[in-house]
Amino acid sequence: MTYHIDERERSLGDSAAVVTVRSLTKRFGDLVAVDDLAFSLEAGTITGFLGPNGAGKTTTLRVLLGLAEPTAGEALVFGRRYRDLDDPARRIGAVLESNDFHPGRTGRNHLRALAAAAKIPFGRADEVLALVELEDAADRRVRTYSLGMRQRLGLATALLGDPELLVLDEPANGLDPAGVHWLRGFLRRFAEQGRTVLVSSHMLAEAALTVDEVVIIDHGHLVATGRLGELTQGGRTLEDVFLGLTGAPT
Amino acid sequence: MRALLRSELLKQRSTRTTLGLFAAMFLLLILAVLLHSLLPTQALRSPNNQLTILGRGEFLGALFAGLVGALSVTAEIRHGTIRPTFLVSPRRARVVWAKAWACVLTGSVFGLTAGAVAVAAGAAAFRARGIDLRLDGGDYVLLVAGATGAAALWAAIGVGVGAVVRHQVPTVVGICAWLLFVEGLLAGDLVGLGDVFKFLPGSAGEAISGQEPGTLLAPGLGLVLLGAYAAASALVGALATSRRDVG
Repeated sequence: MTYHIDERERSLGDSAAVVTVRSLTKRFGDLVAVDDLAFSLEAGTITGFLGPNGAGKTTTLRVLLGLAEPTAGEALVFGRRYRDLDDPARRIGAVLESNDFHPGRTGRNHLRALAAAAKIPFGRADEVLALVELEDAADRRVRTYSLGMRQRLGLATALLGDPELLVLDEPANGLDPAGVHWLRGFLRRFAEQGRTVLVSSHMLAEAALTVDEVVIIDHGHLVATGRLGELTQGGRTLEDVFLGLTGAPT
Repeated sequence: MRALLRSELLKQRSTRTTLGLFAAMFLLLILAVLLHSLLPTQALRSPNNQLTILGRGEFLGALFAGLVGALSVTAEIRHGTIRPTFLVSPRRARVVWAKAWACVLTGSVFGLTAGAVAVAAGAAAFRARGIDLRLDGGDYVLLVAGATGAAALWAAIGVGVGAVVRHQVPTVVGICAWLLFVEGLLAGDLVGLGDVFKFLPGSAGEAISGQEPGTLLAPGLGLVLLGAYAAASALVGALATSRRDVG
């Protein structure tokens, strides 16, 4: 019997490494924010990037997205450094802060300014506004938006380029229960199209409902990674696992 | 680069900041020219003073264009929009360079307006005082064209300063202080600089609009020198931005 890898399998094999973090270290002076961290993400999954406050989640995401230089090691998206990607907005959408808007600019113009830089047609700004249900507020200045609306405008910003990978830092902050429910459904549908989500969170109950995979870090180190179902075997909740691993009092 | 330029111009048009600065410049300009026109008749008859009064367009145009340039960087850092900006365009030096060019365009509109308004308001004020303007056509062309060029280049200087300093308040205070009195103090020779002050950027800008011929550089030289300051400032800003982590 001969084995042969057909093209479809091979392309799946390539796309499996959507994110590769290898021996990543980031220091700020004497502070080691990320320490020899390694993990990778498969296409079509939602991965929860979990850890206590100050564990190094945001720093890792900033390095991954080319906003900060690693002290050592590397963080690659689609096999390349973020800043070496030809058209990053069409491959990766990311939200790091919930309020990265000029308060005096309208939601629509916020999206248009970024669309112009990425050579994305303005019509796409209207599409993503509809996707996050902000059409009615599109021509209001962001100063008048609630926190939940800002979260959705951030998500719309990330979706401008119709990306294959979404990277979200604490996207559920400030969302009401209906908003959280909506976000969960949205991320699920996004992943079902074979796309990938990396979502950092410290809201474990919510993460447990949303993610397939988890990467748990503490003090900049990887402490656990794997399928959510495997980590929570034997009736343990994600919270039990997390608190056990991160040494917090239970 | 055209895509980035288009993005930067859209950013400038889509908040009230640019328009607010433009309005402030316009009002201050009228005020400055009118206050100067209250000087004694004897002082107003001197062609050099006439040139200085009508040259307020260059001064305020350069100042406000410098602020437009600085705010194009510091406002993005202050409000956090710098993050999505760099996510879309991770080659940060190119973003700073595009900001510099966008601000050169906007700054030239500021300068052209300021130059023309100062000449028109000055001419009206002198007529009201019954004093003849002893300037020729070449002086007027230089006043308006010089204001345009100086403001365009000062906008690029502002971009570089903003990209290096990053914090909005110190950047704005620094640019205002430099143009409003630091260079003036140096020109007053408090620190024994001799006539080196004419090579400083504020004086180079004034030289472009034909101010104080003989004391300052010739207009063409002023333009070249200020252009070098603008290019150096934008370049340093681009380098600093591409090397430092984004907060």
